[in-house]
Amino acid sequence: MLHAQAAGAALGRVVAQPLATISAVLVIAIAIALPVLAAVVLKSVSTVAAGLDTDPHVNVYLALDASDEDAKKLAPLLRAHPDAASVRFVARAEALQELKSTTHLAELLASLERNPLPHAYTVRLRTTDAARLDALKADWQKLPKVDQVVADFEWSERLGRWVRFGDRALAAVGIFLALAVVFIVGHLIRLQVLTRREEIQVSQLVGATAADVRRPFLYHGILQGLLAGLAAVGLAALVSAWLQYELRALTSTYAAEFKVVFLDFGSALTIALGAALLGWVGAWVSVGRELRRFAARP
Amino acid sequence: MIQFSAVTQRYPGREALRDVSCEIGTGERVAVTGHSGAGKTTLLKLAAGIERASAGSVVVHGQNLAALGETALAVLRRRIGFVFQDHKLLFDRNAHENVALPLQVSGFTRAEMQRRVRASLDKVGLLGREKAMPVALSGGEQQRLCIARAIVNRPAILIADEPTGNLDAESARAIVELFSSFNQVGVTVLISSHDEASLERLGGRRITLAQGALVA
Repeated sequence: MLHAQAAGAALGRVVAQPLATISAVLVIAIAIALPVLAAVVLKSVSTVAAGLDTDPHVNVYLALDASDEDAKKLAPLLRAHPDAASVRFVARAEALQELKSTTHLAELLASLERNPLPHAYTVRLRTTDAARLDALKADWQKLPKVDQVVADFEWSERLGRWVRFGDRALAAVGIFLALAVVFIVGHLIRLQVLTRREEIQVSQLVGATAADVRRPFLYHGILQGLLAGLAAVGLAALVSAWLQYELRALTSTYAAEFKVVFLDFGSALTIALGAALLGWVGAWVSVGRELRRFAARP
Repeated sequence: MIQFSAVTQRYPGREALRDVSCEIGTGERVAVTGHSGAGKTTLLKLAAGIERASAGSVVVHGQNLAALGETALAVLRRRIGFVFQDHKLLFDRNAHENVALPLQVSGFTRAEMQRRVRASLDKVGLLGREKAMPVALSGGEQQRLCIARAIVNRPAILIADEPTGNLDAESARAIVELFSSFNQVGVTVLISSHDEASLERLGGRRITLAQGALVA
């Protein structure tokens, strides 16, 4: 049987059994959509994490009553510390301007009688060692006119680590779910092989080679996988759109924006083709096993 | 065309053929006779490459079947028409689709398949019954459908296992005449039967088996 005939026969079988095809494709699609969705979430989180400042630094906030002169006196003390790589002064007016431009709070800030923000220093550090960081914070906390010393890069660094862990966990889950797809397709193809056992045996008696018998099932597996891959991308796109809608409503109250970053076209195509490949593998394994069984039980 | 040399065929717990040697020439008409269990069906299956001999050699179309791989053996089967005792028709496919199966396997185009299936059905007197499902056909018609499938690839060898079994005398006569007509155009015909009337009508040479051994 030629490839074109085998592909045509497989397509005919898919079209002739719409309900069976839809249910099989949906089962496989859901198995594929789960890691796809997890990948979308991870990609979105990692995009946010990439925009965060993860360089080791601390912010030294001065008391609200600290004058410009007080702030100037502090700079050489901070620079003198062996773990300080660079020191940048952020005047309270500059901080207010930045807050107005990066948030939706401009109107609220304009209505205030005075600037609620203190002078601050951002100090880049040469260390991320927790003990040294604690000692540094304790030292600087004692400096005159210093109100708070905050090392707020730690959580973003931690987030970055979680994202990297998530990537690895996703790869492991992806492998398991890919195996699941192979087993599901294999099982579905096996049922078809059993249903068509008589036809296969008669075909072999009149001259069908193992490749001839296998070919239409392989095309069927590829078709099922491809359709499931496309359906999985579609499902993931729908859920992502819904998540984006819900997130927009949620994040607007925080005056911040969090975007769900969906797959690009290349990734979506890779998923569809990968699913087709998994369908092919599942069909190959299943048909091969059943043909060996037929041969063992004439 | 078909050569058996010291062929033995064993199945679990029994020996179906024992040290059988014989030769069937091109264009010959040969009847294989013997009681049930004599080894007739086994001999035919070995000649058609459906089974491999446990010992000895079977040479068909100049090819030693023992030396052929599974794929080559399958391809060789396309050049041999086989009429099965139990017909082996697909009951969920109509007459046309049943006859077309060997052509599908061989990768013929749709148009060529259409042409050859109609020609085969015409030869066995079933033209016009293309859409009929096997269950709607009589025993004789099912047998003829099976013959149409066997000849659709225009084989040089036609093998039939008890083609007249379970048929009334009139149907059996028609089937034997059909085989005779194929033989008259040069097809080598090998038929097993224990129906003496059919064998007489077929004529040709006889090979007689008894308990797996060649006795005549």
